[in-house]
Amino acid sequence: MSAMVAERTLTLKEQLEENARLFSETGFMYGMKDLKRKAEDPGRYEAVWHILMNICNTAWDVGCRVSSSAIAVDGGDALWGLHLPTGEAVAVSKGITAHPGLLSLFIRSLVELDYESDPGITNGDIFENNDSHYGGIHASDFDAAIPIIYKGELIAWASGVSHVMDCGAILPGSIGFMNPDVFSDGVPVTMEKVGEVDKYHRWYEMRIRSRTRMPDWVMGDARGRLAGMITIREKVIELIEKYGVDFFKDAIREYVEDGRRYAVKRVKSQTVPGRIRKSNFKDLAMKGKRVVLPQQNVDCLLNQPLEVTISGDASVKFSLAGASGWVPFGENITPMALTSALMNAYSHMVGFDMFNWGAVASWDLETPPEGSWANPYSANFFAASGVAWAPAVMWMSSLYETFGRLYFTRGYVEEVAAGAATTLTAEFSGVGQFGVYVAGLTLEQASNGAPARGMADGENSAWCIYTPNADFGNAEISESYYPIIYLGRNVEPDSGGYGTYRGGLGHTAIWMVKNTPGMEYQCGCAGIRSKVVGNHGMFGAYPVWPDRAGYAIDTNVKELIDAQKPLVHERGDPDDPQLSRNVKARVLENNAVPPFVSPEQLHDYDIIVHPVSGSQAQGDPLMRDPAMVAVDLTKGWTREWVAKDIYGVITKQDPKTKEYSVDEAATAKLRNEMRAKRKSRAVPFREWWTKERERVRAGEGMNPAVTDMFRSSMTLTPSYAEYIRSFWQLPADFTF
Amino acid sequence: MPEYEVAELERLIDGQLPWPRVQEIMKDAKDTDRFDKWVQILQKRVEWKEPILLPLTPSLYIVQQGSKRVVKCKCGQEFGDYRVNWKLSASIYVRESDEAFAEIYHGREKPDPSWVQIREYYCPGCSAQLEVEAMPRGAPPDFEFLPDLDTFYRDWLGRPLPDQQEFVDKTPDVIREWAR
Repeated sequence: MSAMVAERTLTLKEQLEENARLFSETGFMYGMKDLKRKAEDPGRYEAVWHILMNICNTAWDVGCRVSSSAIAVDGGDALWGLHLPTGEAVAVSKGITAHPGLLSLFIRSLVELDYESDPGITNGDIFENNDSHYGGIHASDFDAAIPIIYKGELIAWASGVSHVMDCGAILPGSIGFMNPDVFSDGVPVTMEKVGEVDKYHRWYEMRIRSRTRMPDWVMGDARGRLAGMITIREKVIELIEKYGVDFFKDAIREYVEDGRRYAVKRVKSQTVPGRIRKSNFKDLAMKGKRVVLPQQNVDCLLNQPLEVTISGDASVKFSLAGASGWVPFGENITPMALTSALMNAYSHMVGFDMFNWGAVASWDLETPPEGSWANPYSANFFAASGVAWAPAVMWMSSLYETFGRLYFTRGYVEEVAAGAATTLTAEFSGVGQFGVYVAGLTLEQASNGAPARGMADGENSAWCIYTPNADFGNAEISESYYPIIYLGRNVEPDSGGYGTYRGGLGHTAIWMVKNTPGMEYQCGCAGIRSKVVGNHGMFGAYPVWPDRAGYAIDTNVKELIDAQKPLVHERGDPDDPQLSRNVKARVLENNAVPPFVSPEQLHDYDIIVHPVSGSQAQGDPLMRDPAMVAVDLTKGWTREWVAKDIYGVITKQDPKTKEYSVDEAATAKLRNEMRAKRKSRAVPFREWWTKERERVRAGEGMNPAVTDMFRSSMTLTPSYAEYIRSFWQLPADFTF
Repeated sequence: MPEYEVAELERLIDGQLPWPRVQEIMKDAKDTDRFDKWVQILQKRVEWKEPILLPLTPSLYIVQQGSKRVVKCKCGQEFGDYRVNWKLSASIYVRESDEAFAEIYHGREKPDPSWVQIREYYCPGCSAQLEVEAMPRGAPPDFEFLPDLDTFYRDWLGRPLPDQQEFVDKTPDVIREWAR
């Protein structure tokens, strides 16, 4: 109880320093060697935990309903939480679990900057931040917090976050991949007290109205955040009245320490100590496209290495050594925001009994290379972060595979997950069907296929990397917000890679533009790959194909409708896309490399083909149960050429039932032939290394984006340069 | 703590257990004897006798071979000291052209061979596809997992291995030899 007594005499900032000291000296958060409240009355401890969870989820219900954006109202793309006075998240709602870390760090920053003294923290105050320089992630995610003050003492915080549909960035919308610098990232709210007495200041609303394109929606979302936070505050006060303030203050700290202990215990009981490495690369191919500034006419490849070291005490260390440099787009992220991203991935892969800040205290993120996309400000203080999630989620994808490998070694195959899906966003901007301007996002990307497990395929359209609440929203709601009509929303065959167990499949949305004098389609990158595929051939699977979108401008679709001829309802066979097969247009693109903004305005009857990826597979495709291939064929989830050429499965289709069955003998024969082919075309590794070394030395066949990436990685991390030179046995001064 | 029969774990591992039962196992606390049963099942399925120390992938295991610890495929093919990336002892086929990509990615959804290679690692013995890498030229192959076996057995399982071995990546030593 000594820490509790001490807190009443300390400022929040002093308490934060005291917490750090206690953790450093004892190894337990707040010096809590024993969880006394848990030990005294475990029933009450558990009951109050569940009440807190319910309070947060009630806030989510209330907040989403008060909000205005479709993604919050219909898709629940927001989150609310309860925090310690020093910021640590205690309990959070469902919703976008990528954010509890950010909200924790935001409140912590208020404490570190001594807001307790200036401007002061009073009941009814509303604080907000969306500034990446001070703990935000990107300008469209507004982090908010209000204090919970009981009998004059600040005993907790309530927080809320939502993703607004337009943050006033240089281009309409909220996925600011095109932003060249921070000045184009959108309206800043920099650690500000934006309201008092539970009401936003007038200047705040004036700023939103003059600096964002959809102020009614942005303010609606602000009121949604506030409604949810007030819900938490009022319910927590009720809870304190029932259980007592001393119990509450002790218990909320114990929940956090309990969260840390769970993470440590799970690592120790289900993984193996050692060093795990996973490279990944993410492209941002912008050369020749519409860009904002000339220096953006460039192709980029981001080096996203992950090294995980698990020590004998089950402590976990993450390193990004070798990360490449900052990019002149909105795809840079800060270490603070990366911490929150890791917390999100940890919640998926390491799991939790009590999901809160405790997990963060169980690991250490090595400071990413200064000047890299993961720590840009020392090299460029004005680097853009319009969609900082984009590189983060692609890096996090490696965490799924690395922990999946660890669980596999211990035999917990049901916990294995191959790599993640990508996040290809769709935003529209223009005058809509009601004659007023609209700009915003659909939630199409929030329903990917799930990663393959160690013993099963991933589920289709049921997973999303940044939220456990995968939900792409109702088509009718999207149609009511934007001037589009869905022509199709279909599971995409073979979109989950190929493996013993494939990833869950993604889907393709087909939109027809309708009832607008002109709008733009932004095929955005919130974490995509298009020139490369993910380095996720886990245990011998083939990675998910690259993201490619399509569109047709100035089409004959109205004539097709009038003549009742086939339209476009799916992507169709990759060799014969339905768009080009059925539609004639002045501009028709089947193979657009994302991200991009449509090259010109779209008008009525123009078509958009927007793919949403599945997740990654695992295992040698020739080890896949042929019967599972036959089932996929019957369901239309794989194509005949994939069944035969990738899986080596020969099938026949019943002409009446249309069901496929396996020809066992022919399949065994074909698979043997395919294995023999592998043997004949492969070479010993050393033989390949010897030749490849010369090609590496010469930079043969390497795109400038690749050599630029290596050059920057080697400059920012000398040990990575040594790693490259050492592996290829190149001179000490070698660079690309 | 739950415990599961070996027979049920075999069905789980083989993907034969009904999904509702799998979900029960996922939601419950983890069985603490899983590792021993897992190794027991895998050991039973191979024809060779060296004790499995740690399964790395569905095909590759670290086994005790006298005083050595080597990576071994379930077919019997050996890949040498577990502290050297086993890929150095594998066969490799690299896709780095549109034509080679087209065999696995039809139509428009293909990566660009000037940006990325697809490296397929096969077992020289049984031709199992052990790993696939998608990397730009110049990126060394990932040494996915270098386990600290002694710490694992001694401190986490409470039964030290007989001969302690230094926890160190020995891959660079082999590469240096190749360059001579």
